[in-house]
Order: sequence, then C-alpha cells, then structure tokens
Amino acid sequence: MNGPHDLGGMQSMGAIPIEENEPIFHSEWEAKVFAMSFATFGNFFTVDETRHASERMPPGKYLSSSYYERWLFALELLLTEHSLVSSAEIEEKIAELSQSNELS
Amino acid sequence: MTAYHHHAGSDPKSSSDSNIASDIALRVKAIEALLIEKGIVDPAALDTIIETYETKVGPHIGARIVAKAWVDSEFKQRLLADGTSAIAELGLTGFSSEHMIVVENTSEIHNLIVCTLCSCYPWAILGLPPTWYKSFAYRSRAVIEPRVVLKEFGLEIPENVEVRVWDSTSDLRYLVLPERPEGTEGLSEEELAKLVTRNAMIGAAKVDLTTVPSEVSQ
Amino acid sequence: MAIETSNECMSAEAARAILDNGLNCRVNCDIPPQFQVGELVRAKVTHPKTYTRLPRYVRGKVGNIMKDYGVYVFPDTVGQRLSTKPQHVYSVRFAAQEVWGKEASANDALYVDLFDDHLEKV
Repeated sequence: MNGPHDLGGMQSMGAIPIEENEPIFHSEWEAKVFAMSFATFGNFFTVDETRHASERMPPGKYLSSSYYERWLFALELLLTEHSLVSSAEIEEKIAELSQSNELS
Repeated sequence: MTAYHHHAGSDPKSSSDSNIASDIALRVKAIEALLIEKGIVDPAALDTIIETYETKVGPHIGARIVAKAWVDSEFKQRLLADGTSAIAELGLTGFSSEHMIVVENTSEIHNLIVCTLCSCYPWAILGLPPTWYKSFAYRSRAVIEPRVVLKEFGLEIPENVEVRVWDSTSDLRYLVLPERPEGTEGLSEEELAKLVTRNAMIGAAKVDLTTVPSEVSQ
Repeated sequence: MAIETSNECMSAEAARAILDNGLNCRVNCDIPPQFQVGELVRAKVTHPKTYTRLPRYVRGKVGNIMKDYGVYVFPDTVGQRLSTKPQHVYSVRFAAQEVWGKEASANDALYVDLFDDHLEKV
C-alpha cells in the first residue's frame, strides 16, 4: 500500500530528534501498549498484520501521531476487526473508569 | 510517571497536551482491563514483557558481541559470515533478533542501519530503539541523505569512504560492528565492551576514546 | 489457505520463551532461488493496495544481488493472513545515484532486503 509509512526519501521532516538519556518508555501507557501488542503477536495476529494495521492509519493522522499512538491504533483496529473487543465495549469501559476516577 | 519530553524536529511527540495524554492513558487502561477480563492477555505476561525491555535487554548485549569480535578474530569471522549462529554461540538471541546480519565498519566503508517502513531493530541485541531511530526524520532522510544525517550526529564521513545504508525491509535484523579505536590494545574484553555505544552499533557514531567512562580511561 | 493463529492467551512463561527464543521466520525447504548472486535485477514497478515490504523508492530501480539469505516466509502475504509463501530473500545493492540521481554521492549505496516476488530479471 502506498501509505504514509513508506517514508524513504521523503523530505522536509526536520532535524533528527536526538534525545539524551532517553527512558525506555516515556510513560506507563506506552509500556502497556507495547506489552499488550507483544502479548498478542503470533497468538492472535501475525506480526506483519500488526505492521500493516498501523500503515492503515489515515495519512494525516499517521504523520501527526507518536510511535506508540500508532501502535495503539493498530492494536485497537485488530482487536475490533477480529471481534475480540468492540468499540462500544472500549467506550463503555472508558466511561466506567473515568467515573470511578472522579469518585475516588 | 515520566514527564513528556519535547525535542527539536517536526516529529510528533508523545502527546504534549496533558489532556490528550490523560485521554490516551485512560483509553489504554480501558483496553487493558477489557483484555484481562476476556482472558486475551495475562497481566503477569505484560509485567514480564515490560520488565525484560526495561531492565534486561539493551545495548550492553550488543556491546559484548562487538568486544568479543574485537579480541577474537575467529569469532569475528564467524560473526560476519553468519551473524545468527555466532550470536547464538553466546546465547544472546531473542525476539526481533532471530536472523542477524552483522556489517563491519572499516576505513573504506561506513554502514548505517535504518527501517524506512516501520522501525525494525534488533531488540534482543540493542533493546528497544531510541526515539530518533523511530522518527519520521530519520526513516525518511537516512536513505536519501545519509551523510547529512550523520553530520547531525557529529560524524563527518570523507567523500572517499563508501556509505552503505541498510534498509531493514525483511525479517533480518542488522548490527554494525564498529571500528576498534586505536589506543585500546591494553584493554580487556570487558573494558572494551564499556566503550561501545548503542549509536555506534547502528552506524550513527564511531567508538571514540574521548567518550570513555572514567573507570576505563585510567 | 489462510493463516490461523492459536488465539490463546500468552502466559508469562510463554512470553519468556518468545522473548528468549523469538519467532522463527526462516523455512527449511529446498525452494530454488529465482536469482543468483552477482545478477542484476529490477525491483518491480507495482502498487499493491495491500501490505508490501517493497519500498517505493526502489521500485523500477536496478540493483545487484549481493547475497542470498535463504528461504523465509513472505511478509506481503503473511500480513494479509493469506499464506506463508516461502521464498528467497536477497540483499540487493542499489547505487545511491541509481535511486536518487546525480545529486547523490557516487560512492554510496543502499542495501535493501527483497524477496523473489519483489524482483524481476533485467
């Protein structure tokens, strides 16, 4: 697919963002997205299927998302496409968690 | 929790807006809760995976391979001929390093590794890739203007040196064997390993005695 | 023949085993290579709407087969769960000027891993 991921030779991407003393993950959610993806590699999806899922992100969104945001998109896309989790279930769970956050 | 970092370049950051960041964090928590409830992921497996990449694997593993190649020329020959088996001799294989190719930097050839299509990287040998390796800037520019990219890392490659850029488009993973710096003849394999940086094993740096940790430079 | 997955929850022990041993993509079988080391090849001009590991910047460009890495599963079909379609993977060297024109350094080169199905004879 001639998607936004096929970046070789594209110009105007700016300087290489070199970060000193970089942590492995920049936040807990990044670690969780990584681990949930890893835990489904092979068992539920082929690794190439997960790569392709992130490539299917709309180009504007792909190019304005961080690395783990793209992983999250791919994970959610595959979970819903394979009917393992529905979008409605995700939204319900978000509502439930944010309510219990407000109460606490 | 770690603060979100800002850095130069046009690449999107881990969401800098704290509202967006907390939305994403909540969304991820929700998905995690659902996957655990449904028996799709095991929280113990998630812990094992995160702990492995945060504390066990990293560039120190690749550095051991490089240092061994520097002191053991037979190992070096095996490593360059068949990276997968030579690394397996040391018991250092693992996920996303199953099929390894090692390329040697010399006074005539400078190798640089990239993955333009995603961010393939030898996880078991170097750990998870740094932000710069995953950035759109690096993925797009490394193949078309590698010498300009290398200058941003402080490396000026003479015009008579051939720059080879390796695009990781298959399931093979690449490791650069950097040149052993002069003046390290007296160092042990262990001391040499401490000199080898992650960036040098991607081809974005040379191993340089000026960056020697103090305990080794004495 | 579609690729099926186990759809089993990965235990911590299973995760440990995958972390330590990885997932093998190499296939032990005698599929003959379509190309030989030293041969000039052209990366196909093709624009599949599906998954491919053939980057756009080399399509239509001529390169040299430097090494035959052996037989591996084919990501382009694995990514669609269609089949493993095992075939040879080669290290193909493209001169930087072949890909980017005279502005590129005459000494430099790109090495791209390409599969039999990505290549054609020149």
